[in-house]
Amino acid sequence: MSAAAADTVEQLMGRVALRDHRAFKLLFDQTAGRLLAVASRVLQDRAHAEDVVQEVFVKLWNQSVQRSPAQTCSLAWMCVVTRNMAIDHLRRKRPETPLQWVDADGVEHEHDVPDDEHPSPMEHLLAHEDGVRLGNCLGRLETEPRQAVLFAFYEGLSHMEIAHRMCKPLGTVKAWTRRSLLRLKGCMEACA
Amino acid sequence: MNWYHHRDTVDQLAASYLLGTLRGQARRRFDAMLPKQTLLALAVDDWTQRLAPLLTTLSPEQPSPALWKSIVLRTAVKGQATTDSLWRRVFSAIPAGALAMGMLVGVMAPMLWDRPWVEESGAQLPASYVGVLGTADGKPGLIVSSLRHGAWVDVKQMTPVAVPPGMQLYLWRIDATGKTNALGPLPTGKWVRMALPEPAEALFSQAVELAVTVEKLGDTPLAPQLPFVYRGLCGKLWK
Repeated sequence: MSAAAADTVEQLMGRVALRDHRAFKLLFDQTAGRLLAVASRVLQDRAHAEDVVQEVFVKLWNQSVQRSPAQTCSLAWMCVVTRNMAIDHLRRKRPETPLQWVDADGVEHEHDVPDDEHPSPMEHLLAHEDGVRLGNCLGRLETEPRQAVLFAFYEGLSHMEIAHRMCKPLGTVKAWTRRSLLRLKGCMEACA
Repeated sequence: MNWYHHRDTVDQLAASYLLGTLRGQARRRFDAMLPKQTLLALAVDDWTQRLAPLLTTLSPEQPSPALWKSIVLRTAVKGQATTDSLWRRVFSAIPAGALAMGMLVGVMAPMLWDRPWVEESGAQLPASYVGVLGTADGKPGLIVSSLRHGAWVDVKQMTPVAVPPGMQLYLWRIDATGKTNALGPLPTGKWVRMALPEPAEALFSQAVELAVTVEKLGDTPLAPQLPFVYRGLCGKLWK
């Protein structure tokens, strides 16, 4: 591995702030595939996902992504930035997006249900060393509260939208997400 | 006590913020406080690291070749500044640009004012080129100066960077179109002097920025082979 390839996202971002074209390209090469996966997971539309990733990199170059100096500038942070921008994109187009539709090839899709060819978020987590702890802790949550957390995280659904989607009272959904996050934190700290 | 000083409240809000369920006015207040309150930023950072595997473990997808081309078009990364004005480019290079501008005025001018030959001659500041370069993490990095018709540059290293064995620092000039030109290998040390291949006027008159990379020892690259470790403004210090 070359010295440049070994640079961390944080180092590369620092150099991008110096308007370093080469660092910007390296950052793209190292992260674009993952960011595209994030945007695709949220939007379930490859073309829109590329639009979002393009927007992320333009904002990074222009230094217009809001960030506190205390926040770590990591791949995780870039993924969250991408997810947030994908969710914003989704919210803008959501009124036009039905939950079920049939594509040009006649294949039926349902917006929030991953198809059988792709592993679920839990399967992804458990298959990666970095995700095992979170995967195990998510696995300890009851099915419906876990689903509510994933709806919020991947699709940017509000409590009200989750309640509507899951046909549950709003208060129940709020309690689910609040308790689930507390339990996740406790579980992950205990497993650390 | 304000809510943002209460650790449990901050943690719960940061969790909701990251999950995306913190909405409306509450989210806007949180957003406004985030850059100002370290406790909030640290809590958001913790939740980012905690939940990020939901995103970072997704299987990467191959971007289309058109994606990078579109980004290049929108950022003018190649051949940049052919359409942007110099000042827009300079000031967009935050933190380096802001740092360099501040340093240029705040550090270089008093230093030059104190030079004894200025007092002796009773002259104004000598006609010089000066560059103030920042590091990748926004710290003051190098101060580079040369008399207008000088044959060398003096370099003060304010923040050292690691130079691995078998490598060397290499100084570059960047012109208004973003093109880089090699100036030569830079000796390491707190105060160093580097001989110029041509008189300073010929080398620096078109320079708007200077930059430094780490290159293989003995190489004379025509273009930077590795990312910049220092970069900042270069200006003329005469009327």
